[in-house]
Amino acid sequence: MSSSARSYASVDAVQNLLAEQKYICDHNIATVVYLATQLGKPVLVEGPAGVGKTELAKVVASSLNIPLIRMQCYEGIDEAKALYEWEYAKQLLYTQILKDKISEVTQGAATLSEAIDRITAQDDVFFSRRFILPRPLLQAIQSDDGVVLLIDEIDKADAEFEAFLLEILSDFQVTVPEIGTIEAKRIPIVVLTSNNAREMSDALKRRCLHLYIDFPSPDLELEILILKVPEAGPALMEDVISLVQNLRKLDLKKQPSISETLDWTRALVIMNADSLDHEIVKETLSSIAKYEGDLRKAEKELEAFVQQRRAKADEPVVPAADGGGDLLH
Amino acid sequence: MSRWCRRLTAAATCFTELRVEHRIVEFAGLLRRKGIRVSTAETIDAVEAANLSGLQRRETFKNSLRAAMIKRSGDVAAYDELFELFFSGVGELVKAAGESAASGMTPAEFQELLDDIARLLEGMDPELSDLTRALLMQDSGALEQLLRELRDSGKLPQRPGNYVPPALMRELLGAMGAGDLQEDFDRLLAAAEHGMSEEELEKLKEYLARRSRDLNELLKGMLKLDREQADHKENREQERDRLLEKSFYYLSPSEIKRMREAVSALARKLKNILAIRYKRAKRGRLDVKTTLRHSLEFGGVPFRLSYDRRRRERPQVVILCDVSDSVRNVSRFMLQFVHSLQDIYSKVRSYVFVAEIAEVTQLFKENEIQGAIQRAINGDVVNVYAHSDFGRAFKDFHRDQLEVIDGKTTVIILGDARNNYNAPNDWVLRDIRERARQVIWLNPENASTWGFGDSEMNLYSKHCDIVEECRNLKQLYKIVDILVAA
Repeated sequence: MSSSARSYASVDAVQNLLAEQKYICDHNIATVVYLATQLGKPVLVEGPAGVGKTELAKVVASSLNIPLIRMQCYEGIDEAKALYEWEYAKQLLYTQILKDKISEVTQGAATLSEAIDRITAQDDVFFSRRFILPRPLLQAIQSDDGVVLLIDEIDKADAEFEAFLLEILSDFQVTVPEIGTIEAKRIPIVVLTSNNAREMSDALKRRCLHLYIDFPSPDLELEILILKVPEAGPALMEDVISLVQNLRKLDLKKQPSISETLDWTRALVIMNADSLDHEIVKETLSSIAKYEGDLRKAEKELEAFVQQRRAKADEPVVPAADGGGDLLH
Repeated sequence: MSRWCRRLTAAATCFTELRVEHRIVEFAGLLRRKGIRVSTAETIDAVEAANLSGLQRRETFKNSLRAAMIKRSGDVAAYDELFELFFSGVGELVKAAGESAASGMTPAEFQELLDDIARLLEGMDPELSDLTRALLMQDSGALEQLLRELRDSGKLPQRPGNYVPPALMRELLGAMGAGDLQEDFDRLLAAAEHGMSEEELEKLKEYLARRSRDLNELLKGMLKLDREQADHKENREQERDRLLEKSFYYLSPSEIKRMREAVSALARKLKNILAIRYKRAKRGRLDVKTTLRHSLEFGGVPFRLSYDRRRRERPQVVILCDVSDSVRNVSRFMLQFVHSLQDIYSKVRSYVFVAEIAEVTQLFKENEIQGAIQRAINGDVVNVYAHSDFGRAFKDFHRDQLEVIDGKTTVIILGDARNNYNAPNDWVLRDIRERARQVIWLNPENASTWGFGDSEMNLYSKHCDIVEECRNLKQLYKIVDILVAA
């Protein structure tokens, strides 16, 4: 019951294929992805911002070599934006262009009602697939080779939209009154992401497999860092990770995510910092702490960290590239 | 592979699958009893998932079931715990017993002994019981099976102490289909006396004694496991009910933590309800002005109707919180609750008082909520070691802050009204009520004690629209209903 063009052979295959796409995941994520592709069930991915929920959908698509269709949810998204719309302007334009043809059809009609009857007989021309504008959901259903459908930030959409989505996700078919029912040729791999702005309904949760992605363990984060920012030195990487992991334990307004760890490390590399024991480091902290209060806490944590390091190291640490500081002025 | 053999394998596979299904259904039942909602459809998903991902790796199996059955991240910890309890217990016990079986021997020696025993067992007539054979041959699969059957048969006595009397042990052995274990051993030894050296015999005797002890340990372990599962069940359910009814006065620190979670869950739920209600009422009445303006496009024909988009009603709340020691826990949860709802209540202004009164709204805006509450009730803002004086606090509020109350404001006062015989100044409440939309008084004291001693509740309640007892979470739920209706 494989539901995609290329499917995964096993849980380990998922892990390997995703790693090829530079996405390091733990066993749990791989298991859920494997099950979702095999069972043809949607996955609801929850977790803090910036842990790679959206990224997961993208790499699943690229690892299976199938297209990704993304639907970004927002407050007020409705069927017309998600499913399909009639191309009203195009219909209007065609009636204008085909004026002569239409009068030809109605020519010789004895009464008005006869003329209307004749036009009615033709009206399915204007309500055909030619004039339909498929939105992400319909696109996903119409696709021939299977797709990954990413429904991003479903928690931002309204409760009614969620109910409407349920219908699509359980049957994978869409009924357009003028055309009929369109059934999915291949069941798409559906990934829904949520930041938990509100609790999803039980009905939706019941239909989905559930995946909670948390901040990664230090080892996993190091692996990710090695893969994504290979130019950083091993000492710097370890420092960054232990500091970031410490910061996540603090009570911050916004905890630093993986993407922020990566950004910060890149920033440090550009600044030629080879360890955290550096003046510049303080000035780059704003790439992991996004609020004033958080920044202060992060600075305190950094100082404590550096002091601890100094106490540990017997020989005094010599700051390496001094020229780095000038870059800021 | 012969046909017969293939059929046997197929049957065996089918058998294990059936057992797995059975176990998963049982496990779903356990989860439900612990308050985790698992639907039948989800159980079916779990079985499918388990069949797909296979049982070879425990971690995969665990993750598969979790993805299918656990949909709330808050339930994950409980799931992990229950999974260990449910799926590993017996297996671990048998594994431990297996390690003990081979103790003091090299693997080769152990294998030799097993071969000897296998030969002896073959020659026995009538055959020894299944249990004896599984035990002596260290057949973990069969042993586990027997133990599980024993557990499922419901013959395990409920809640025994750690001591297992011999009579009970014999009874359990009987339930597992073993006659007298000692008799079996004696027969085996008798058979072994022919053709075994003195030394070998000694070894065998020692092995039998060890296995007998192992079995004892196994059964004891089973009883303990069973008891743990039963305890666990009661604990969790009782805990929830207790927490719901437990008075805020007597919460332990860990209960305060859980209560905090419960209160924020309540706030989230309320937000969802209000959001749905707001959506339903989205279309309001006909908007005559706009409709007329649109009609000009169509020569005065009201072709397109427009409606009011009903504005979201965002009531304002002013909360006066007694933070004297006696009601501290209640104030804590009430403040948390109201402030978690700030996106529903457009304006929340909070005041805390004991004898003096101070506004803490700004404190809440600038600080993380729990920290702010801690500071508000710890004496950073007002002196919490003074004697409660509602009258003074009210009077000061009337003098300095009365203008924050208007016709849209709901005033919530939280306190036990124990005024230490000071002047009650209840006229302040009368004035407040005249200006406000409504005045709600929440009293964390038992209603039967209101008005006795220095309690001025009878005086104050005359000037309130709603007076409620607020001693535990259950009552807080009720109050939330009132607030939502307001």
